[in-house]
Amino acid sequence: MLSRVADNLYWMSRYIERADGMARMIQVHQSQALEYAQNDQQLEEFWQPVLQSICAESVHPSEIGVRKIGKTLLFDESFSNSILSCISLARENARMVRDQLSEELWLELNNIYLFFRNGDALDLYNQGSDLLLDRITRFSLVFQGLADATIPHGEGWRFLSLGKYLERADQTSRMLDTLNLRLKEPSRADLMSVLRCCIALSAFRQQFRGHLSLQNVASFLLFSEDFPRSIRFCIRAIDYSLHAISGVPTGTFSNEAEKLTGSTLAMVNFTDWNQVQAKGLHQTLDELQTTLIEIGQRVFETYVLLPSEIKSLGERTSAQLAQAQQQQ
Amino acid sequence: MSIPRQFQGYSTEHFFDKMFSGNGELRARSHYEKIYQRLDRLTETEISERRQQADSSFLEHGITFTVYGDEGGTERIFPFDLIPRVIPESEWNVVENGLRQRIIALNLFLNDIYHDRKIIKDKIIPEEIINSSKNYRPEMVGFDPPQEVYAHICGTDLIRDDQGNYLVLEDNARCPSGASYLLENREIMKRAFPQTFGGMSVRPVEAYPDLLLRTLEYLSPRKSQKPVCVLLTPGVYNSAYFEHTFLARQMGIEIVEGKDLIAIDSCIYMRTTRGLVQVDVIYRRLDDDFLDPMVFREESMLGVAGLMDAYLKGNVALANAVGTGVADDKVTYAYVPDMIKYYLNQEPILSNVPTYLCWRDTDRAHVLENLENLVVKAANESGGYGMLIGNQSTLKERDEFARLIEAHPREYIAQPIISLSRHPTFCQEGIEGRHVDLRPFILYGEDVEIVPGGLTRVALKKGSLVVNSSQGGGSKDTWVLREF
Repeated sequence: MLSRVADNLYWMSRYIERADGMARMIQVHQSQALEYAQNDQQLEEFWQPVLQSICAESVHPSEIGVRKIGKTLLFDESFSNSILSCISLARENARMVRDQLSEELWLELNNIYLFFRNGDALDLYNQGSDLLLDRITRFSLVFQGLADATIPHGEGWRFLSLGKYLERADQTSRMLDTLNLRLKEPSRADLMSVLRCCIALSAFRQQFRGHLSLQNVASFLLFSEDFPRSIRFCIRAIDYSLHAISGVPTGTFSNEAEKLTGSTLAMVNFTDWNQVQAKGLHQTLDELQTTLIEIGQRVFETYVLLPSEIKSLGERTSAQLAQAQQQQ
Repeated sequence: MSIPRQFQGYSTEHFFDKMFSGNGELRARSHYEKIYQRLDRLTETEISERRQQADSSFLEHGITFTVYGDEGGTERIFPFDLIPRVIPESEWNVVENGLRQRIIALNLFLNDIYHDRKIIKDKIIPEEIINSSKNYRPEMVGFDPPQEVYAHICGTDLIRDDQGNYLVLEDNARCPSGASYLLENREIMKRAFPQTFGGMSVRPVEAYPDLLLRTLEYLSPRKSQKPVCVLLTPGVYNSAYFEHTFLARQMGIEIVEGKDLIAIDSCIYMRTTRGLVQVDVIYRRLDDDFLDPMVFREESMLGVAGLMDAYLKGNVALANAVGTGVADDKVTYAYVPDMIKYYLNQEPILSNVPTYLCWRDTDRAHVLENLENLVVKAANESGGYGMLIGNQSTLKERDEFARLIEAHPREYIAQPIISLSRHPTFCQEGIEGRHVDLRPFILYGEDVEIVPGGLTRVALKKGSLVVNSSQGGGSKDTWVLREF
């Protein structure tokens, strides 16, 4: 498979998972805010840690108005992680690898893109933001289902998995981190929201019989062996995908990405809450996020060699120049 | 209650109309009878439903082209008209033979001018015309391209005059596009009018991608193994990008950008997750200028440094060959009938549009005196750019072109304004006649192959003669009928 194609598939998958996580995050927090934040100041305090955890530094509640945060996170293209940005970027990547996608997969993605572009998404949002957010999460589920059901589970599909689970691990760690970023002890409602963001509420209840505490929620989202959004589950999936791509047995490594993933997997496999507490939850999550970024970089270095002649030019100008030349 | 008829009020005016013969009372030509009956009875709702279906199908499938000069690279659909253009087989056979004859002559010409230049020595074509052509590539002199073919894929534009004669308007021997629309239009029409389509014995076009792949594989320098063919695209912002992915997918070959390829020891490799894989044939949808920054435009970021070296050493094949543009220069075009006589000793089956070459003093004087009644074209532009249509121009535009012609006579040609044939087309106010042309796609590999028909392009603006997608053109499906 072409290196660039692998890269495009990986990013397409990441952006869709990101849009999905963002949609659920907005929906859950908007709903929590209805009950727990009455005035503008409370709303701002409520959203601040959430925005911080998703690195939305460019979104200033005081400038856009606290009641427009949801709309900004959905539609603002100047914010690179807005849902519209994610969908546009996913489609841009998909357009470059259309020959690798099934027609069904492309139609699903292109339809949601057109739905945003022709203004229908905004109309639906104005009727009720939940209607739109539901539609987005549904889209991502259909998309991922189609990816599993309609394209061969070969190398390309492994890169899709890799992107999906790396992004998902990152999302879960960020949602969990909002609990640290709140100024006061996380409330029952805060814990519930984090579980809801990770669609983990019923799975959690089954395991802990509803005993809601920071320790239980964090342990579940970090270490659950079989919940598909726990960090441990995601890292195991990344490890598995990497070895399926290289053909090297798990437990060994043939490149830096596999080495780093393997040691991270060992770490989450053999850690418990006491150790997390000793280090601090925020510190643990922070290190995990750094490791996830590094795994992404190692994957890139291993499988996607960028020609040095393009690196040497300024990135932005070279992109514009290339676009102008393509329109020869 | 009488049913409203769609063709009520339709007028052929003084044009040659594809569907109807004669003036006055409408009489559908026999090969259009079924379509006429079907369309005439469609209700407004049925028409708008089908149109909407077709449009949204194009948009959803991403069958779009990129509009240039727009920062975001806006994507539009190429408007599609639901009334098919029909060509009886006997008529098509003449066109097919004419195109075959033409592409063989063009290739002999290209071979000749990059080798012995007999046609110049025999004073059929002046040497300065060749040497001054923008797309003449001295790098190709003395080089034998694989299988001695230069233009493997050619999209020749045909028009019909007011008598219904087919005339060649231009040969696109570089990177003609439109084949994907030809295939997609057919899919849409089969869904929109299954009965009418089924009842008419339309010759299929679906073989095009297979024929194209066979044409490419035929060029491979490595005969010992299954050739590795790739499609080289300028990238996702190119107006024909959809077509590139479409064709690559249909052929099952990789679509690559310049940065996916690398030249090592005069061979071309693609970068894959498993390391480098050698490439045998490149179907390039990139102009010569951008192919190799070491030989052509230095600033090109789309090409592959070292590609020409690998090509000239015979380690990789390119389709089309480098330097074919000299054959579709609009000045060279004027000499194609002479080429056919010279190389093949035959009379041209398809005629050219009469052409005045501004570098000839007598022609230029005539052109400058008659700008109002001529179409002036820049010799090396395409896509409907750099063009003056005399009777639709202002005095200021004509003065501007007169200045340009005086300053660069070699760069301009002029042709009489042909009263292009028209075809019934769905428009704002019902069905009206619109000017059309036809671009068949000719493949020259082991044999010459032409899928029946081609892309019919239609000028949707009332009275307009320009069919290019960049200038408000649309397309139709083209049905070549099998005759029993």
